[in-house]
Amino acid sequence: MKFPRSAKAAVCALAAAGLAAGCSSSGSSAPSANSTQKVTLTFWSWVPNMQKVVNVWNASHPDIQIKFTEAAGGDAELAKLLTAGKAKDMPDMAQIEYQSLPTMVSNNYLADISSYDASLKSDYPSGLWTQVTLGTSALYGVPQDAAPLAFFYRTDIFKNHHLAVPTTWAQYQQEAVQLHKDDPSIYMGDTATTDAGLFAGLTQQAGAQWWSASGSSWSVGIDSPAAKQVASYWGNLVQEGAVDSQTAWTASWDKSFSSGEYASWIAAVWAPGDLSSSAAGTSGKWAMAELPQWSAGQDVSGAWGGSATSVTADSKYPQQAAQFIAWLNQSAQGTNLLVQDGSIYPASLSAESSSSLPAQTFMNQPDFYTLAKQYSSRTAAATWGPDVDVAYSDFSDDFASTVKTQAGYLSALGKLQSSVVADMKSSGFTVSGS
Amino acid sequence: MTTATSSVQHGPAASVSLARRGRPGGGRGWSPSPRRTPYAFIAPAVVLFAAVFLVPLGWTIYLSTQKTQVQGLGLGAGARKQVSAGFANYTAVFQDGEFWQSVLRALLYGCILIPVMLGLATVFALILDAQRVRFQRFGRIAIFLPYAVPTLIGSMIWGMMYLPAFSPINSTLHALFGVQGIDFFGQRTVFLSVANIGVWGGTGFNMMVLYTALRSLPQEAYEAARIDGANERQIALRIKLPMIRPAVIMTAIFSTIATLQVFNEPYAMHQISYGGVSTTWTPLMTVYRDTYTANDIYLGAAESVVIALLMFVLSVAVLRLTNRQIFGGEAR
Amino acid sequence: MSIGALTIASQGTAPAKPRRAALVPTAVLLLGAVYALLPIAWVLIAASKTNTQLDSYAAFRPGGSFLANFRNLTSYDGGVFWTWMLNTALYAGGGAILSALVSALTGYGFAKYRFRGKGFLFTMILVGMLVPAVVLAVPQYLLVAKIGLANTYWAVLIPSIISPYGIYLARIYAGASVPDEVLEAARMDGSGEWRTFLRIGVPMMVPGLVTIFLFQFVAIWNNFLLPWLMLSSENKYPLTVGLFTLLDAGTSQPALYTLVLLGSLLSILPLILLFFLLQRFWRVDLGAGSVK
Repeated sequence: MKFPRSAKAAVCALAAAGLAAGCSSSGSSAPSANSTQKVTLTFWSWVPNMQKVVNVWNASHPDIQIKFTEAAGGDAELAKLLTAGKAKDMPDMAQIEYQSLPTMVSNNYLADISSYDASLKSDYPSGLWTQVTLGTSALYGVPQDAAPLAFFYRTDIFKNHHLAVPTTWAQYQQEAVQLHKDDPSIYMGDTATTDAGLFAGLTQQAGAQWWSASGSSWSVGIDSPAAKQVASYWGNLVQEGAVDSQTAWTASWDKSFSSGEYASWIAAVWAPGDLSSSAAGTSGKWAMAELPQWSAGQDVSGAWGGSATSVTADSKYPQQAAQFIAWLNQSAQGTNLLVQDGSIYPASLSAESSSSLPAQTFMNQPDFYTLAKQYSSRTAAATWGPDVDVAYSDFSDDFASTVKTQAGYLSALGKLQSSVVADMKSSGFTVSGS
Repeated sequence: MTTATSSVQHGPAASVSLARRGRPGGGRGWSPSPRRTPYAFIAPAVVLFAAVFLVPLGWTIYLSTQKTQVQGLGLGAGARKQVSAGFANYTAVFQDGEFWQSVLRALLYGCILIPVMLGLATVFALILDAQRVRFQRFGRIAIFLPYAVPTLIGSMIWGMMYLPAFSPINSTLHALFGVQGIDFFGQRTVFLSVANIGVWGGTGFNMMVLYTALRSLPQEAYEAARIDGANERQIALRIKLPMIRPAVIMTAIFSTIATLQVFNEPYAMHQISYGGVSTTWTPLMTVYRDTYTANDIYLGAAESVVIALLMFVLSVAVLRLTNRQIFGGEAR
Repeated sequence: MSIGALTIASQGTAPAKPRRAALVPTAVLLLGAVYALLPIAWVLIAASKTNTQLDSYAAFRPGGSFLANFRNLTSYDGGVFWTWMLNTALYAGGGAILSALVSALTGYGFAKYRFRGKGFLFTMILVGMLVPAVVLAVPQYLLVAKIGLANTYWAVLIPSIISPYGIYLARIYAGASVPDEVLEAARMDGSGEWRTFLRIGVPMMVPGLVTIFLFQFVAIWNNFLLPWLMLSSENKYPLTVGLFTLLDAGTSQPALYTLVLLGSLLSILPLILLFFLLQRFWRVDLGAGSVK
């Protein structure tokens, strides 16, 4: 199973990063705060070219040296962290996807850095800040990138088939049917039911809360009416043959983009980086628009991926680590480097508005960052539970093995709900209402 | 431990052929030596064995009787505690349909893999041993070559060959017969797809084992048959095959044990197929998922113990067979 | 002959050359050879294609980018592929040598002495052969981390040294190729136990020990799960783990597929080479080492 994540997209954006690299290391550096003691901190991340970013910090902070280890992708890294945590062998700092933060926190593997970095709050959208505080007074990391969902489409195909950019899901469906009828070799896109992260983001837009907490008990809303609405919507489309049902993140799926079989893609703002690698030949043919809405006039988005940088409970120097994290994810120098070398879309509001953001060359969309910022601010709030990774892993198993119909998707969703509840109960959590 | 992870190809190897080398009348013990000497010889292995197998095994058993207790939402410091679970994890394993499905799947996988792999291995071994067959040396080396390919790498290569985007199998079929592509990751076809990787990787090795057994047979037996006018096929089927039956049975037993342990092939295929092979496809994948992805080492430990017991039952039979045959003549 | 698989071509005593070829069995054999070689041939060809050629060219039509791919792989992430190759050689070579030594000691001890608990200890070790790796992986990791060896070369090397299978084989070899009479004669001459083992036992067991070395070398070279769980730094990975992470990244960065294919090809070459080299070396039959 694959949950794309912003950084993963960033991995794909090496080419784009290459263009911007080189103009990054402007020498000005903040004086290191704690010069009494020289420390070396270990750091795991999978953002491409992170070593370059770390080098810049190391050059100007002789007393806080960072030893960077490039980690495998998000889910692999999380598994490693969870194991390392049992052996008290975690690195000082690690990149962690938003939805995995509760899992780490519930294992007591993250340090509370609110006494060092709480002041950064004002520079982040409140939705993202809630992700790193889990709604408590503690602070478990500093947001690195934001990943609001948007609608990416091929301007040439839309023009040839006289399609308007769909603003509602009803319009999307109608155009998908029409497009495939006009030209059976083209699909509007692929079904959103093969990637748990995307599906969760779309249900989030529809108003679902997969997890919520009240008092000391959790409730699980994976098969809530809003989520059912999304499942049956895609089931319906797949049943009609209006969208392709193949699994995302496979080589043949990539090919569908490069060969022009797909007219659009529902993805987060990291999509251009991904497409520039998997469908380089379609450069300049894509445009971005707001995610279609459930009813006209709304403007809500969901999120797909994104991550924070956290200090682990095994770190002996949380203060120094917090200092580095603040520099990396919030300072102008750090975020510039991340955007230019690591090709991420920054979470920090000041970085989002920074004039130094590199031009969006793949899509040829001058207002890319303006729009991205807008979608980011409209992202529905999400609460993640302590076993998201179980849910995501079960999701791919359940939706892959079910029949590809409306009824099939609904039953897979029901199955997922009960297996997640069962898993939480067997892990010792109190689950209410079920 | 490394040998335990490697799959079907290992195991039967020399044990089978060596079974014949036992020294029936051999060495009466010549013992009177300082008492400690033998212990000194085996000490390094015993220490390592304890560190690498016994202690972890004991720990696994201990972990299988533990569970996590959560206070409140489980989000604060110290909200999780490890407490005793008694046999609760085992009850959960026995009631876990998914776990037993993965066991069944592994058995079904074995039912496809073992007959095909050993059937091919036997046929090739007989052909290698037959007269008037050309290219024997080339065939022997070629068929054995996949043994040199790590199972994970082999699975990755086959996995890519299955991918619709660049499948040479599908494009060849399409070019020759205009057939539409096969879905190698379909709910049923995926068994064949994964088993094919096992067949590919394991046939050569087993072929060599059986071939070795064939070469050690006395030639006189079939010279007589030849004089009586039997042809090569008759000699192969009526004389040679019955004589290497013990070797075939032994390879079958070892392959069965390896089947329950299958991990690398489906794990790599899972990574490539996204959905075709689920995260709980085989028992060891279930353990891996529950331990690492779901982060429930206690349940994972209980599952491990159950699998180990299943393996144990299977293997005791094997050991009894081989031990008696091979070490009968040693110093006791 | 008893060395099983590893005497690939040593069974040379083919019957007198017949006149007429048997067509059907020859054809079946060749079909089998084609099946075995097909994926390797495909990788060979695929490794010469660019990523776009990978899905646009016919499966067995070669591209011309082998060298370019090679350069890309070599420069990928600062040449980490060759680090993986070296690591693998270190894990497999070092682990297999140590394993052969420990197996020799133990097998000899079991075969040539009688002592209390012998049967029990041997059975225990054999049972170890049957415990699947995943079962022990977590506690092994926890132990290794506790003594501060997680993410070090030792974490992979140490568990590779003990091979129940190697001990099993060594016991058979010692029993079959080291005659008790010779040992007894040495002892009569006043040779100590240790000296007897080194001077008489080991030389006689050498062919068998090479077999053990080879089996263990292949087993460690093939190993995936142990290093996958024990290591977190890329520069300590062996090839299997490294290529697997590359494949994982390839799902979002298709350009990496060509690197995975070329890397897979390169990763099996040393083993194939080893097989061919040792094939010659191993014409010596185990029987030659024993005094019978």
